[in-house]
Amino acid sequence: MQDTIKSRRSLRLPADCSIAAIRGVHDQIREAFGGQRPFEIDCSDVVKADVTSIQLLLSTTMTGAAQGRSVILKSFSQNFRLILQRAGVLRAPPPKHGSKDKASS
Amino acid sequence: MNSVDPVEVFRQEASELFETLEGALLDLCQRPDDRELIDAAFRALHTIKGSGAMFGFDKVAAFTHEFETAFELIRRGEVKPTQELISVGLAAKDYIRALIHAPETVDSIIGDAILDELKQLVAPGIPAFESSPDRPGAVPSEHHAAGWLLQLEFDAQILRNGSNPLDMLEDLAKLGPCFAVPITTDIPLLDALEPEDCYLKWEVTLSSDCDKAAIEDVFMFVLDEMKLGITPLARVELPEFAPLLQEADSEPPPSATVPVSAAPDAAAAERPALPAEPRREEPKRNEERGIATVRVQAERLDELMDRVGELVIAQARLSQLAATGSDLSIKLIAEEIERLAASLRDTTMGARMVPIGSLFGRFRRLVHDLSRELAKPVEFVTTGEDTELDKTMIECLADPLVHLIRNAIDHGIEDAGRRAAAGKPAQGRIELSAVHAGAQVLVTVSDNGGGLDTRRIRAKAEEQGLVAPGAALTDHEIHQLLFHPGFSTAQTVSALSGRGVGMDVVKKTIENMRGSIDLITRPGEGTTVTLRLPLTLAIIEGLLIRVGAGRYIIPLSAVEECVELTAADQRSRGRSFLNVRGGLVPFLRLREVLQMDGAAEEHQKTIIISTGETCVGLVADQIIGNHQTVIKSLSKLHSDVTIFSGATILGDGTAALILDVGQLVALAQSQAEKLQMNEAA
Repeated sequence: MQDTIKSRRSLRLPADCSIAAIRGVHDQIREAFGGQRPFEIDCSDVVKADVTSIQLLLSTTMTGAAQGRSVILKSFSQNFRLILQRAGVLRAPPPKHGSKDKASS
Repeated sequence: MNSVDPVEVFRQEASELFETLEGALLDLCQRPDDRELIDAAFRALHTIKGSGAMFGFDKVAAFTHEFETAFELIRRGEVKPTQELISVGLAAKDYIRALIHAPETVDSIIGDAILDELKQLVAPGIPAFESSPDRPGAVPSEHHAAGWLLQLEFDAQILRNGSNPLDMLEDLAKLGPCFAVPITTDIPLLDALEPEDCYLKWEVTLSSDCDKAAIEDVFMFVLDEMKLGITPLARVELPEFAPLLQEADSEPPPSATVPVSAAPDAAAAERPALPAEPRREEPKRNEERGIATVRVQAERLDELMDRVGELVIAQARLSQLAATGSDLSIKLIAEEIERLAASLRDTTMGARMVPIGSLFGRFRRLVHDLSRELAKPVEFVTTGEDTELDKTMIECLADPLVHLIRNAIDHGIEDAGRRAAAGKPAQGRIELSAVHAGAQVLVTVSDNGGGLDTRRIRAKAEEQGLVAPGAALTDHEIHQLLFHPGFSTAQTVSALSGRGVGMDVVKKTIENMRGSIDLITRPGEGTTVTLRLPLTLAIIEGLLIRVGAGRYIIPLSAVEECVELTAADQRSRGRSFLNVRGGLVPFLRLREVLQMDGAAEEHQKTIIISTGETCVGLVADQIIGNHQTVIKSLSKLHSDVTIFSGATILGDGTAALILDVGQLVALAQSQAEKLQMNEAA
């Protein structure tokens, strides 16, 4: 599927995507999700995140898949990246030393 | 509608957790081996830590983590909760409270000092207490598995309780290298998603020779809110990692678009990352979640009470109009509105009622600290915690009770030597109780100390020039001197008492609440101070009376009966006692008290009022009837008028003053005692 920047709907997530603010973020995504165009979510501003924000992104991508639409996630902030890695949904950087040895011993 | 500030909600919840924590710590003084108390303290700490982190109180989370780590040694039974440890624990609790409620006043040096003391007490020389990534939970046991396979499935509500599964995953990683595979099968599509529920599960492969208990420790606070499967592995094979989410601009970019169907589930093909068909789930309704209580901001309750007060005044005007008119249908509607307004008033006042136990709990700490400070062992007993009182009353009552309890320990309870000499047990006793008595609540502070020294109070009063030497005073009047501003019999001024500041403030506060104070003392046996308080400060049932041209309200709760003043009583001058069924009741002529001019009514009425044991008659020209009285405060200009406790607006728009029953009784009592002394002389 070819899509251009102009043909996408996009949304920038707010800084607070933790449980304290997740209901509002959920509403924003649902509101922005309408239509048939690819949906782009910019995660560069996210400072606070937790399990709820991970679930919300997963639900969004699953909803996109169910409707045959692309969901594009871009520019994870450092904090958000770490949270996603802790939850096991994003690849963590390879361990620098120690842990691999211990695991295989 | 005002939006609710989530941080404020956290502060309120933290306050409740602090009460739980403090209660558990204080109970541990008596029952140091009680496992449930230790767990309760732990749960409170853990929730404060988790919620604190969630709401951005990073200092709270960090300090509480250290506190929690120290107490872990107690939980494991490695350290006993000694009195010293509990005292430091209470100080730590106070520090966390300050970090939440007044962070600008907090100096981190205090926190460091508390943690140092905690370390000294719980683990001198034990490096396990030091914050380090390698927690003591990783101690290998006799059961040596190569690793563990864990299934983590949390209750949907767990995130709302402040628990964070990601923290637990991180704690697991401290036990050894682990690989967490998220299971997304329960995550619904966007429309059905309850964003605060927990849907994610994990399957974790942990490569560690730790024992099973160490793993269970990681989840100890949420074990009843999750399913935890733990299976030992003879050999650990970490699965291939496949991310569930990918960044469009990440390296290497497999594709700019990331439909989830393209993201294979990491661990096994039998757990598809996507459901085959979109699932539609109806959002859960409140009834299904079992919500039985709602947290309401106190200001909203105050606003509601104000509105009800205005409604009651408007209803009184309507009733008056209906009564003077002849339209029957208007009269019926007025009656119906009167009934509804009374019902709404009662319901609203009921919603403002709070068990006084929430206040009593605070004093356990006060007694604990003072008892240690003064080296006077004290047993603190509370009864009637379920007695309900208007929330405003509860707030106003805190300071007076602090003064009374401080006085009871500092002045009332004797030191060990004097108690032993008097044949009393070494441990003193202070009892704080509450009980309903009609439309009043009686709050009593009693001690089994030495009682008041009437002679010394009198001598001190003469020395301070408060009474003339040799003046005829009853014991009651002498004891009332304790409530005089600046009066103190303490020979030394301590940090607690002795400066003469306190009892006058107590009296003023209680009187401002339309209450009164009774003081009973028995030499060598102790002192009992009883605070008599109305149930509410907002609306009362009153008896409307007329004296001359003025109309006044007497709180109906104080009215015992109404009798007609006999012609003989009306004619009598100087004598001020009524004969009521054989008993003598002193009475006050309100025309004289209020300095009314003109002739009295021919058939005057006497309203017998009572405050506890004392009955007094008030002579009025006319009893008009019951009146729902919305209490309005008097202006500052009237602050020195003691016989009125407030005012109200009547149905015709005019104002009526509310008589302060306690002051009138004291006035009558004083007159009666003087009369008796004159007669005796």
